[in-house]
Amino acid sequence: MLKLIRLEWKKNNIGKYTMAAFILAVLLCLFLFALAFLGIAEDPDGTLDAAEGMNVISAPVELFTSMSFLIFTSVMLSSFIVSAYKNKTMNLMFSYPVKRQKILASQMLAVWLFCLAALVFTKLLIYTCIYMGSQSMESTFAIDFNMGSLSFYVQLLLKSVVIVSMSFIALFVGMMMKSSKAAIVTSFVLIFLTQANIGDFSLAGNRVFPVILTTISIIFAVLSVWNAETKDLL
Amino acid sequence: MVFGKGAVNMPNILQTNQLTKTIGGKDLVKNVNIHIKKGEIYGFLGPNGAGKTTVMKMITNLWKPTGGEVWLFGEKLRPASYEVLKRMGSMIEFPSFYEHMSGKENLQLHCEYMGYYMSGSVENALEMLGLSEAAEKKVKSYSLGMKQRLGIARAILCKPELLILDEPTNGLDPAGMKQLRDLLRMLCSEYGITIMISSHLLSEVESIADTIGVIHHGNMMKEVSMKEIAEKNTGYITLAAADVKKAAYVLADKLELDQFKVIDGQEIRIYNDRIDTTELVSVLSVNGVEIISIGKKAESLEDYFLKLTEGGIR
Repeated sequence: MLKLIRLEWKKNNIGKYTMAAFILAVLLCLFLFALAFLGIAEDPDGTLDAAEGMNVISAPVELFTSMSFLIFTSVMLSSFIVSAYKNKTMNLMFSYPVKRQKILASQMLAVWLFCLAALVFTKLLIYTCIYMGSQSMESTFAIDFNMGSLSFYVQLLLKSVVIVSMSFIALFVGMMMKSSKAAIVTSFVLIFLTQANIGDFSLAGNRVFPVILTTISIIFAVLSVWNAETKDLL
Repeated sequence: MVFGKGAVNMPNILQTNQLTKTIGGKDLVKNVNIHIKKGEIYGFLGPNGAGKTTVMKMITNLWKPTGGEVWLFGEKLRPASYEVLKRMGSMIEFPSFYEHMSGKENLQLHCEYMGYYMSGSVENALEMLGLSEAAEKKVKSYSLGMKQRLGIARAILCKPELLILDEPTNGLDPAGMKQLRDLLRMLCSEYGITIMISSHLLSEVESIADTIGVIHHGNMMKEVSMKEIAEKNTGYITLAAADVKKAAYVLADKLELDQFKVIDGQEIRIYNDRIDTTELVSVLSVNGVEIISIGKKAESLEDYFLKLTEGGIR
């Protein structure tokens, strides 16, 4: 399996994505640093213009990194899998003496692992920058994280897993409709569904919701590879 | 080794029994029986849209049959038959590549997936198809013909026992076609590779094939060895006369010939082998038929093929 994943990275020019992920991480870091310390989220009178419960710094960090990486992961899944069906390289892949489900699983894992690592790196970068900044600057947001505690890292990892896994739902839609665009549009819909708030109500803060969401994502991931063995490649 | 029901004539490396594929209520191919012996070159002929690719997709397990079965190397092909794929090389439809990678890298990748590690095999395959110079270039810069040749290089790369090529001469120039024919003949004679090659042009395969299978409208019309065709078609006398009607009358009445036909009202083809041209000329002259030309011809395979696909011979 590891070999298959490595080959996927090689085939799909992973260097290109590494560069893109790095640029995205730096841009997000700059933006969130500005948000925390340079007052771009403040009203002219200096008060913070944020919804109830959103006045802590982890809220925008989670929101923007989740949004960006959910789309990033969906785009990557589209080009690794949906495009492979469209440009017929999947026909080639399925002519190899490797189980089709294993091929698809390796493609999904190749993206999942890469994006999880990229998202964790990005969040760590942002939190570190904000932590460093908070030592010498004042923020209108409350600094609500403690980089010294283990639970901070566990939470960061778990939240990243939820977000990256969610893109499997987008992949499933993309595969069903044989369209990369459909996959990417679905990822936008997922963002609105999970991150947006109606008044004070938002699914983002709910504790049970991530568990349900991850379960659904895994079901969709399984559905995506389920009938690969017997389905014709049209 | 125990063979199951259906694997009766097992010198066949590939056999299909009543192979059928239906999509959306339409039979793409129906009850196709193919028998390919080990070590032969099998020409799979049919006009465009006859079902050649459909059959080849089922043989390579890309599509699953609606009915019937495929037997490969003495084993029935099932959805989970992956091991047989190691012993096959194939190129179905136009080959696809990872365009940002070089030709050589694409072939190396193929070896990785096939689990085939033999030093020099990639270079050798590129050399055989005349792609050594372009080996390091990215595939996106390749011409159509080069991609086709790279596809063939990939199919033969792992020294398969069975090679399945779907219209491999598409996009090749005449010199390339000849080169490919020579290559296939060499692979068959030197490496003992069994080859199934499809084409809509008889001329492409007649010089190399040992057996020809003709498919038309999804039905297998005929499977015949080239030897048999050569024996069957001894030839005919072609005769052009000023008055074709009168000539035909003389042939039927005076010479009592029964196997001749008038083509386009200008030419007569005489298939009876008991008559020779000298006798024919003298009888026709005596009866006042002016002969424009007369000659002996072997019926071309093209004619035979056309007859099959137009529903003439069953």
